[in-house]
Amino acid sequence: MKSGKSALPPSKPRSTRVDVAHSFENNVLRLIRSAPESRAIRAGEVDAIIDPASGRAILMPAAQTALIERKARFRSLMDLASDGYWEQDADYRFVLHTGAAIGNERTGDEGILGKTLWELAFDNGSEIDWQTHRTQLEWRAIFRDLEFSCVDSAGRLRRISISGEPMFDPDARFVGYRGITREVTERGRATTVAPGSDGFARATLDALAAQVCVLDTQGTIISTNAAWRTLAATYGGPAITENDNYLAACAGAVGNERVDAAAMAAGIRQVIAGEREAFRYERFSGTPLAARWFMATVTHLRGAGVARAIVAYEDITEVKHAERLQKLECTVARCLAVADDTSAAVHAVIRAVCTAQGWDCGRYFRLDSAAGVLVAAESWGLPEVDVEQFMERSRGAVFRADTGLTGRVCDSGEPLWILGAAQNSRAPPTALAHETGLGGAFVSPVTAAGKSIGAFAFNGRCVREPDDRLLQALRSIGEQLGEFLRHRQVEDGLRRREERFRRLTELSTDWHWEQDANFRFTEIVGSGMVGTGDMRGKALWELPAIVLSDEQWARHKSEINAQWSFCDFEFAVALPDGQFAYCLMSGEPLYEAAGAFSGFHGTGVDITERKRAELALQQAAAR
Amino acid sequence: MSRRKAKRPAGPVVTVAVLRLYIADSAPNSALAIANLAAICKEHFGDKFELEIIDVLEDPQRALADGIIVTPSLTKVSPSPLTRIVGNLSDTKSVLHALGIA
Repeated sequence: MKSGKSALPPSKPRSTRVDVAHSFENNVLRLIRSAPESRAIRAGEVDAIIDPASGRAILMPAAQTALIERKARFRSLMDLASDGYWEQDADYRFVLHTGAAIGNERTGDEGILGKTLWELAFDNGSEIDWQTHRTQLEWRAIFRDLEFSCVDSAGRLRRISISGEPMFDPDARFVGYRGITREVTERGRATTVAPGSDGFARATLDALAAQVCVLDTQGTIISTNAAWRTLAATYGGPAITENDNYLAACAGAVGNERVDAAAMAAGIRQVIAGEREAFRYERFSGTPLAARWFMATVTHLRGAGVARAIVAYEDITEVKHAERLQKLECTVARCLAVADDTSAAVHAVIRAVCTAQGWDCGRYFRLDSAAGVLVAAESWGLPEVDVEQFMERSRGAVFRADTGLTGRVCDSGEPLWILGAAQNSRAPPTALAHETGLGGAFVSPVTAAGKSIGAFAFNGRCVREPDDRLLQALRSIGEQLGEFLRHRQVEDGLRRREERFRRLTELSTDWHWEQDANFRFTEIVGSGMVGTGDMRGKALWELPAIVLSDEQWARHKSEINAQWSFCDFEFAVALPDGQFAYCLMSGEPLYEAAGAFSGFHGTGVDITERKRAELALQQAAAR
Repeated sequence: MSRRKAKRPAGPVVTVAVLRLYIADSAPNSALAIANLAAICKEHFGDKFELEIIDVLEDPQRALADGIIVTPSLTKVSPSPLTRIVGNLSDTKSVLHALGIA
């Protein structure tokens, strides 16, 4: 690379300048004794030498010329970009001012120096504005385009824009501000075009975020707004701009866009013909990785010369994303509500998420905290060979909970993702091929009571950078599923305990019974009472085979009427063969949720064998 | 622009070279030297270097104290031995040699 000397303009004075430079260099070379320095000077690679005698740096002629020209260029640019230059001291008082006046013209330069900005006569600076500005200065912040208005001596309104930056000395001490002023009066006038004018209409159209074009009776675009032109300039495919025929462009659409284009063309024709006032159509554009949705609105124009319709495209991608995620959350909630078991619930949730996000497959890894491992518990994927192979490899896999992407997610409770090639990821893709074999991966924690109990790992070619809404939705889904799994775990535990208790009860009793509020049997489970036939619909005292004295019946009725529990209520049952069977009944009152008495339930035991043995023993003893 | 230090990332970084570049404002050779040195450092040191740029028009005494007579001059302060190279650093080979890389 050559030095910047060659950049100097080859003009006549240059020869004189070069001569001077050579003689200066020759003089300098006599002072320099070191060979490298001498060589550099001869090669024109030196900008300055330092004179040990005076302790000053002396610029070489070429460097001096270049710096002078550069400063002149800078000053010229400054003049072009601004109308005035100013400097303030550390107390924000103007100490230098050139160019256009700041503030009211009658103040003049003398009136400006020594004053702060807020001491000048501006019409639109409120105390709150000045307070904000003073705070900016206290923070040593750069301020740009501070606009003020004032009336000049001729009574005309002036608008002035002021920008400034702080200055510091070599010891980094604040010494004041410097900056520029610009007259923006004309700009202000230009932007305040009269309502109703063409300029106003165009400015209004250009201010819209939606892409808008105006069509004539043939469907030719006769006007577009700034957003439309920007999109046309950046659009990957053939751009449709002014003087193009929109309907012809629709007719020439190819691929998946043909259906949308045909629908749009039909709607536009109807609107132009006045058959309908407006036509709205939702369009999808792009790839799954960069999906965009637009709401196209075509509106009929009356009495506007050749203009017949306005086509406006509004980007509704964010709304669509939000809708889809809301729908996904509802789907997940429904899946969890109707799921028969945990496996079906997890499976349904994975499927719902994959379908909504366009991901190829998903797996649920259950965290076994006691063993310190993650177990691949459930999965769902598209019925494609490579997807099935990928899932097959991880089916039933068990790995340490402190390793891998899933382990890190469980540990941190924060989601991680790896995007496809050439996309940024939040996790390094190294050594994760087994977890990201399908291009990208998104791993999200499943939490219950604020703790990770597992993680989802979704894979696919279309994993894109998640936005806040997606992260929020997946976090919510993880929490919903986590709570569902936790409740199911508790329910399963209760069910198992209940089952154990029931089996123990069955071992210790012969039947269970339930009675309504009138003490009539409603349910008998088990062998039932021997010799009494069908007991349902009857009270105990309505069974003729039971042998009890009036006093015993009265005591029993008194107890149950008082809704007392009873235990080992013993009685004999007369059997058809003339013998007796013996029973023990125990029961307790039942109450509804509101507290109303609803009957009794309890158990019964056939003690005939034991009782007969006891009676035989008693008879033998009596003999 | 009296003294500037090249930015270093936060956190512990092992510095493999400490360099001082003496320049004269934005004069052509000085500007070229900064650009050439930045490219060399980026390629060979990554973030592991510390560069101080001294403008002799603002602080000539500092240059004199360091034994600098002309600018642009580059001094490698660390690792030892201290080496110096004069000029706009366009000759990459010489610069690498002076820095002990080639």
